[in-house]
Amino acid sequence: MSTVTARIFAELRGDRVIWAILVLLAIFSILAVYSSTGSLAYKKQGGNTEVFLIKHGVIMLGGLMLVYITHLLPHDRFRKWASIMLAIAAPLLIYTLFFGVNINEAKRWIMLPGIGVTLQTSAFAKIALIVYVAAAISGKQDYIKDFKSAFLPIIVPVLIICGLIAPADLSSAALLFLTCILMMFIGRVAIKYIFILMFWGVIVFAGLLLLGKEYPNVVRVTTWEKRFEEFMNDADGGYQVKQAKIAIANGGVIGLGPGNSRQRNYLPSPYSDFIYAIICEEYGVIGGILVIALYLLLFFRVVRLVTKSEKAFGAMVAMGLSISLIIQAFANIAVSIHLVPVTGVTLPFISMGGTSLLFTAFAFGIILSVSKYIESQVN
Amino acid sequence: MAEVKNEVLTRVYILTFGIVLPMALILMYKTIVIGVVEGEKWRDYGRRSYVQTRPVKAERGNIMAHDGSLLATSVPFFNLYFDPTVATDDEYFDNLDTLAYCFAHYLDKNFTVGGAREYLIDLRDTLENRSRHVLLKRKVSFAEKKKIEQFPLFNLGRYRGGLIATKLSERKRPFGVLARRTIGYVRDQAKDVGLEDSFNKELGGTPGEQVMMLVDKKRDLWIPMDNLAKIEPKQGKDLVTTIDVNIQDITERALYDAMQYHNAEWGTAVVMEVKTGRIKAIANLGRVEGKREWYEVYNYAVGRAIEPGSTFKLASMMAMLEDGYITLEDKVDIEHGKTTYYDQEMVDAGSHSAHLDTITVRKAFEISSNVGLSKLVTAFYGKKEGDKDRNKERKFIERLKQFGLHLPTNIEIKGEAAPVIKEVEDVKAGWSGLTLPWMATGYEVKLTPLQLLAFYNAVANDGVLMKPTLVERTESFGIAIDEYRPTVVKKEIASRKTIEQAHQLLLGVVERGTARALKTKRYKFAGKTGTTQIGYKRFKNRTRVRGYQASFVGYFPAEKPVYSCIVVIYKPEKNGIYGGDVAGPVFRKIADKCYDSLIELHAPMNKGPKPILKSSQLPRNVVGEKKDIAALLGELDMPYYDLANTEMVRTLAASDSLILEQRTLPDNQVPSVVNMGLRDALYVLENRGLKVKTQGVGKVVKQSIKPGTKARGQNILLTLN
Repeated sequence: MSTVTARIFAELRGDRVIWAILVLLAIFSILAVYSSTGSLAYKKQGGNTEVFLIKHGVIMLGGLMLVYITHLLPHDRFRKWASIMLAIAAPLLIYTLFFGVNINEAKRWIMLPGIGVTLQTSAFAKIALIVYVAAAISGKQDYIKDFKSAFLPIIVPVLIICGLIAPADLSSAALLFLTCILMMFIGRVAIKYIFILMFWGVIVFAGLLLLGKEYPNVVRVTTWEKRFEEFMNDADGGYQVKQAKIAIANGGVIGLGPGNSRQRNYLPSPYSDFIYAIICEEYGVIGGILVIALYLLLFFRVVRLVTKSEKAFGAMVAMGLSISLIIQAFANIAVSIHLVPVTGVTLPFISMGGTSLLFTAFAFGIILSVSKYIESQVN
Repeated sequence: MAEVKNEVLTRVYILTFGIVLPMALILMYKTIVIGVVEGEKWRDYGRRSYVQTRPVKAERGNIMAHDGSLLATSVPFFNLYFDPTVATDDEYFDNLDTLAYCFAHYLDKNFTVGGAREYLIDLRDTLENRSRHVLLKRKVSFAEKKKIEQFPLFNLGRYRGGLIATKLSERKRPFGVLARRTIGYVRDQAKDVGLEDSFNKELGGTPGEQVMMLVDKKRDLWIPMDNLAKIEPKQGKDLVTTIDVNIQDITERALYDAMQYHNAEWGTAVVMEVKTGRIKAIANLGRVEGKREWYEVYNYAVGRAIEPGSTFKLASMMAMLEDGYITLEDKVDIEHGKTTYYDQEMVDAGSHSAHLDTITVRKAFEISSNVGLSKLVTAFYGKKEGDKDRNKERKFIERLKQFGLHLPTNIEIKGEAAPVIKEVEDVKAGWSGLTLPWMATGYEVKLTPLQLLAFYNAVANDGVLMKPTLVERTESFGIAIDEYRPTVVKKEIASRKTIEQAHQLLLGVVERGTARALKTKRYKFAGKTGTTQIGYKRFKNRTRVRGYQASFVGYFPAEKPVYSCIVVIYKPEKNGIYGGDVAGPVFRKIADKCYDSLIELHAPMNKGPKPILKSSQLPRNVVGEKKDIAALLGELDMPYYDLANTEMVRTLAASDSLILEQRTLPDNQVPSVVNMGLRDALYVLENRGLKVKTQGVGKVVKQSIKPGTKARGQNILLTLN
């Protein structure tokens, strides 16, 4: 056993700071999820909160193992897999659209046959797309400003994937689209194309809204529209946001302490969408700021990687994935503190939820794989 | 290549420091604003709106009758709500059909099963205004709630099935309107009355505290959060009253019948235990405006001070007896029942006085002569010409006070009217030259029925004035907490001699006087009738009267009084006006029933030496099971000779003793069951496979199948007599 552990640690490479961030996030996650699943446990397990603790703990452990395994792989391999992953992701998304399982009023999941596990296909598609875009940008650096040979091959898959995610999960699609645009910006794609793209993005978004109004079954815009209206009209936020604010205020500077959240009973899905509010309630504003700082620090570490990176793909994919992570994290936090309308995205590596957590772990794994490679280069 | 990298890095820095870092700072800033700067606002908002420590009402104590029967008790009931959003899709739709069936059949019969199903789907699917607490049913009993909790989906509990039950409680009176006004009630937005009011503190208990969650602002619906600590409410104490449910029932019924028969405006009847002053029954009935219905709308016995009229004459007599001014055999001229004082006429009620002039004082009291009494009182206490002071009048008033007539009873329920005994020369109170003669006959004084009863009770109690009480003790879970012992207000309201004479007078009223029609052979009772003018205006030769008040107050059994009782019926409109005709019969009905239930007063049937029975008086030819007959004879202490060794026996009467003779019943033929009781006959015949039909009651006198016949499975008809 000890030899195995020693072996594992011997192989543990990559940025130690990122590893530390991971572990800290995992600790926050376990604590906050355990505390906030009380009412869910009452609903589904007759009050047995340990069930969710164990389930989440197992997933978290699996996630960390996935990070470890992924980081062992040479990151160049993902470049080769990029097109294949994308080719799998697109049909899966189409399948989900038509035959997906309806959870929380949205078709975002597919049921894996036999084992009864649901899988959020968009989470996989997201990573596939980011890796693909990173590969494409780094591969086409010599003629990156060109429209036909560079811009089009990059943008077409982006549009297809985002378009397929959008009907069921508009927020995720929008965030992914934004991630890809930022990647293109960093990857030196011509600014004018990016502006054109953003322009079209807005047009398409508006189009989807209109389409959703006409055919509510095709695109789920009613909830989105409602949330947006709520955000615009109610200065203090709707019910959910008010509850989140109460939670943050309850916490004050140092928080109520682990497991002492009160607002978990009023907040809808306190273990995912509003987990930031629960963290603030239990660990105070200090805890909240620490979480933001952790994500920020992760981003800085990746930027540091990019400065050291010799190879374009590694830098690009790490950058893309960390942009995706931080956008998602900030989007989630911004909801709890009433900066944006309620979106329903999870807090990466903290919120409960198998698929989201495992693919976040996968993303971390890739980032660490890149850092491992760069470390070895520098050395 | 370096250029490329530089361009990339520049863009990365722009992204990092231009977008990501500022964003992070904004998030941190906003977190601080909400958590710290606006902290108090949001914390307060949270406290105010959703979770509060709220008081939990304690369960209210019971009000019980003397024997522990419940007069008022709190019964819990529930309002049921349903949160259709709680259940998962699978569980909701798996249970939908059965739930709809249960819903339509048990919960709301206005729904068909299909309709209920549609409704349940609607509840779940309506996104807009989706209520998380749909009212299912109000005022559901505990048993009903238990049943509804068994419905599919609902049986998954509040957090999975979505059934929400809020507990409330309702005050119930198992005996309906019985003593309603005395038991009383506490209500929102109404005056609290009765014992519920007076003992509100004891009954109410101590409220507890519990952290509760607001689930519906509009309905102010709060649900306790089970996992949070709370202070248990302390249940209120039970109140054991002096009320005897049976006597109360008799009293109310007798009074109600009289109210109906005489169509009176209101009436009251109170029964009190002589030795203790405990009120065993208190009935108050008032007519509903414009209807011939009566309800306990007001506690007349306690709250209404009235001119008592003739029933007050006892006090006048006792005053004179106490002062030694008269003996019962003294004479007084009642002037054929008509006289005048200054410009006012005084007449005797009823026709007894019309042919009489000089009679004994005793007789004057027995026929309730106003003229007689007022003449006596004015003769001894009236201000004579030449008198320098009014001490004689004062003396009369002092005597009344000596009898405790100026004292309120301080009964436990609120709203007692104070007695009015005018002071001499108190012009403000209306003292005049006419006051004394009228006071002698029970006018120009005011007493509540209960105060007057307390006075009569003192006479019955050999001069000991007891405080009337309604409450015996408070209890908690059957253990006495506070005992309210009988209270003596005055040990001796008058000398023994006066009390004894008062006794004689009251007995005379029933034996020979205005209440003689009420006399019964079964027991003796003593009392006084009253026929009081109400709304009168007196002139020289006539009196204008708006109506009468009939009353009777007394006690029974006269030799050794156990209960005292007053009946007052105000403004009877039909079938008589006199106290002896209207209130007296109510008193008799109450006294009859009470007397029957006083076991200790009845002489035992086997009192005296054992009689020697002749053979003709012995039970002969009784057929039955030996065990039964032996037990019966043993109980009656009758010797017998047992000559039988069979199950069934027959009694034979010998010259001076009883013989049990054997009675053999053949197994395979129909035996004779003549002279058997039905129980034995059934046992014997059905054991032999016969089907028994009967007619009549008593012992078997005839059987349709002859003894000795071999028969099975046939019908046999027994005639009983």
